[in-house]
Amino acid sequence: MSAHTAPAGPVTATGTDARNVDGQAIAITVFSTVKWWGRLFLPLLFFFTARIPKLTGTLAKLSFIHFARWTIVKKLPYNGEPQVKQKLRYAHMYFESNFNGGWEEYIDAFSHILTRGMTAFWGSSYGFPKPLPTAPFKSYIQVNEIEADHYYSAYPEATSTMIQRALVLDEKLAPLKRDAERMDPDAFAAAYRAFLCDVQHCL
Amino acid sequence: MGSAANVSGQAYAFMAMTPVKPGEEDALATYLRGLRGRGPSPLAKLPRTHMARWLIVPDMPVAPRTHARDPLGGQYLLFTSNFDGDVDSYLHELVELMADEAAAIWSHCIGCPQPAEGAALKAYLHRNQVDSGFAFAAYGHASVARVKTALDKRARLVDFVVRAQAMAPAERREAFLKEFGSA
Amino acid sequence: MRPAAAPQLELPDIQGDILRAYGNRYARTTYVFVGVPDAAAGRAWLSGLVDRVTTAERWPRGHRPESTLNVALTCAGLAALGVSEAVRDSFSTEFRLGMAARADLLGDAGPSVPSGWDPGLGTGDAHVLVTINARSAEALRAALGELESGIAAAGLSVIHTEHGKLLGGAREHFGYSDGFAQPAIEGATEDRTPGGGVPLPGGKWRPLALGEFILGYGDEETRNDPTGRLPSAPDAPLGRNGTYLVWRKLHQDVALFRRALRDAAALYHGGDEEKLAAKVVGRWRDGTPLVRSPDAPDPGFNAKTPGGNDFRYAADEDGARCPIGAHIRRSNPRDALDVLIQKDPTDAGSQLSFRHRMIRRGMPYGPPLPDGVTEDDGEPRGLVFTCFVGSISRQFEAVQVQWLNDGNIFHLGHDKDFMLGDPDGTGKMTVQGDPPFFLGPQGCFVTTRGGEYLFVPGITALAAIADGVAG
Repeated sequence: MSAHTAPAGPVTATGTDARNVDGQAIAITVFSTVKWWGRLFLPLLFFFTARIPKLTGTLAKLSFIHFARWTIVKKLPYNGEPQVKQKLRYAHMYFESNFNGGWEEYIDAFSHILTRGMTAFWGSSYGFPKPLPTAPFKSYIQVNEIEADHYYSAYPEATSTMIQRALVLDEKLAPLKRDAERMDPDAFAAAYRAFLCDVQHCL
Repeated sequence: MGSAANVSGQAYAFMAMTPVKPGEEDALATYLRGLRGRGPSPLAKLPRTHMARWLIVPDMPVAPRTHARDPLGGQYLLFTSNFDGDVDSYLHELVELMADEAAAIWSHCIGCPQPAEGAALKAYLHRNQVDSGFAFAAYGHASVARVKTALDKRARLVDFVVRAQAMAPAERREAFLKEFGSA
Repeated sequence: MRPAAAPQLELPDIQGDILRAYGNRYARTTYVFVGVPDAAAGRAWLSGLVDRVTTAERWPRGHRPESTLNVALTCAGLAALGVSEAVRDSFSTEFRLGMAARADLLGDAGPSVPSGWDPGLGTGDAHVLVTINARSAEALRAALGELESGIAAAGLSVIHTEHGKLLGGAREHFGYSDGFAQPAIEGATEDRTPGGGVPLPGGKWRPLALGEFILGYGDEETRNDPTGRLPSAPDAPLGRNGTYLVWRKLHQDVALFRRALRDAAALYHGGDEEKLAAKVVGRWRDGTPLVRSPDAPDPGFNAKTPGGNDFRYAADEDGARCPIGAHIRRSNPRDALDVLIQKDPTDAGSQLSFRHRMIRRGMPYGPPLPDGVTEDDGEPRGLVFTCFVGSISRQFEAVQVQWLNDGNIFHLGHDKDFMLGDPDGTGKMTVQGDPPFFLGPQGCFVTTRGGEYLFVPGITALAAIADGVAG
């Protein structure tokens, strides 16, 4: 299912160019140039961030990101002429996010809530201002952001939170479905009520 | 290439950067930007794709004041995708199920096999893959199919819970079984 | 963080009614949109008006005027008065585009589309908004008579007039007391800090920076900037002591709203319609906040007493008292958004919402629908919603788009604010509890009938525009 023909749901993906948007989803794409020490520090940061769930706990709780990634580009494969055989002097950090909500609100949340994390991830990049105040930081991102030429989401009508809640809901629906068959109406009424209490924040 | 950092749950974060043939940058950008106006995204043909993007990297950024210039020597096509399962079978699906668009896109790149198709194109994308440093997935355990099913069920359940309030217990149970019993 | 000293307010240069409301003594508000066909004629007329404009200076005891007059301009109005394109370009993008151009973003769709708005609104024809507040019908008639003869004498035209009037009990048409939560502003309205300022972790509050609401001063971002950087503002002299004004005419289908409540309440715990009405808004009809008093209105409630508006949502994380989607919890979440991401909700401040506050003014229009009537009588009635903000996009639009028209940020899926309604008539609202209640279907209770983005100049700036020296 793809909804490139009509907007999917309410307009919430604001503050960015149309080509970065598919329904509720926004693409952000930023390269930054890494200082020498970042080459050593960033792999360690990535290693521990990937293995200690607590470190991404707030990111997960903010709940507006579907997928994000940080990638260090140190060299590019050579494909022969006429590709210029360029030896990169610096490492470059590629960041992309697939999120929902407004661009401004997204960056604000990063700056205000994930202040330390932002400094950890971008502190070794040239030109990186501190996450706060937000205006210089926003203009840093804007200057370095590359607009997508084509962006796709498989479920443009959905937000990350909605998906996560829908998955929980689906799991909790299964036992009720299974048991409903052999319940009398009153037993079902009690089970249904307990189910609603349990999943009311997923609906 | 098989860095574990590309994987989060069962979701894979793929990225390839391929050099664009000099002089063909505009044609490639025009083609990619035009995809949206020509119906569903070709990426919809790859049912394991959660989210994906193409963009053309003009050059690496130059930080103000530092003059840390590091020219790429040409523009690069960047393709990233977050999908389910392993990269090898995904790229296989990409060159098979999205063959026309894949050929139209990567033929603009240096070193792309001619014709741009099949195993040769797949090997080309593999060769130009850049491994992730850290990939975050909010629901990396769930496949696209699972996400879509869950969203659909949620929508039906939201509709049901409003309606069901007006039903007597027996009727409610019947309606619930009818709506969700076989699903 | 507080700066060493709050900025000195230049009250004689700031228009009245922005920082402090004129109050309920002024029971009548009339909005007159004026079209300016000729720049010189328009400026001459405006020159005559400058001295008549009510400023923010405090009135000496016993010298409360019978009527007040305030002036605001659309971007088309700036152009019509001869303000150069270069200067107009120094205003914010959304102001230059105007409200009608933002319809898709704002959700002004279906019956709310700008093509169906009242004649003259959202078309570029409305140039100057003159707002008159009056204490009596006679005072209003006198002020309007003077205004209209001035307009006619200058060869200008009246594009649209809207007469607002306070309803009994200072309620809006759906029957709720309104207007309790106004921001506490440094140096201006610090008396409202508990409940009106920024909630800090640990239960304290602090006032907001003046620049959030008045141009030319430090805002929450720049108040402590060592280089003295100020937020983006129009070129001098327009960028000081002014603000932006959002004006919206919102038609309310009172009968439909009453029927929706009545029908839903039949299925709600014991048929308690008043409780359900409170759940929709987050306050009982008299204004008592549900978080403070979930079972019944508090007869001792008075928003004006210290602490009357001092509450937050940390202790009601799951929405059992005040639903997560209640109108006041969405439009002014206090700590509610941060509560969603903190391990310990009592630690929550307002990092996700403190930049999105507005000074709300507004006035009902049209006659009330008599009590108990549940069929529409065809009378136009609703609310003229207005708010003053330093940034229309960050403050007004973000709230409208991210908080009211969609529920995702509150983890409520695509639920819209229930009271504002759903043009499709398909929405619902979850009233959390044991068991939860699902309020639906959500009708099209509120329809936009017109709107403009305006600039409220300071007095010096207004004089410069009138003199043709604004650039």
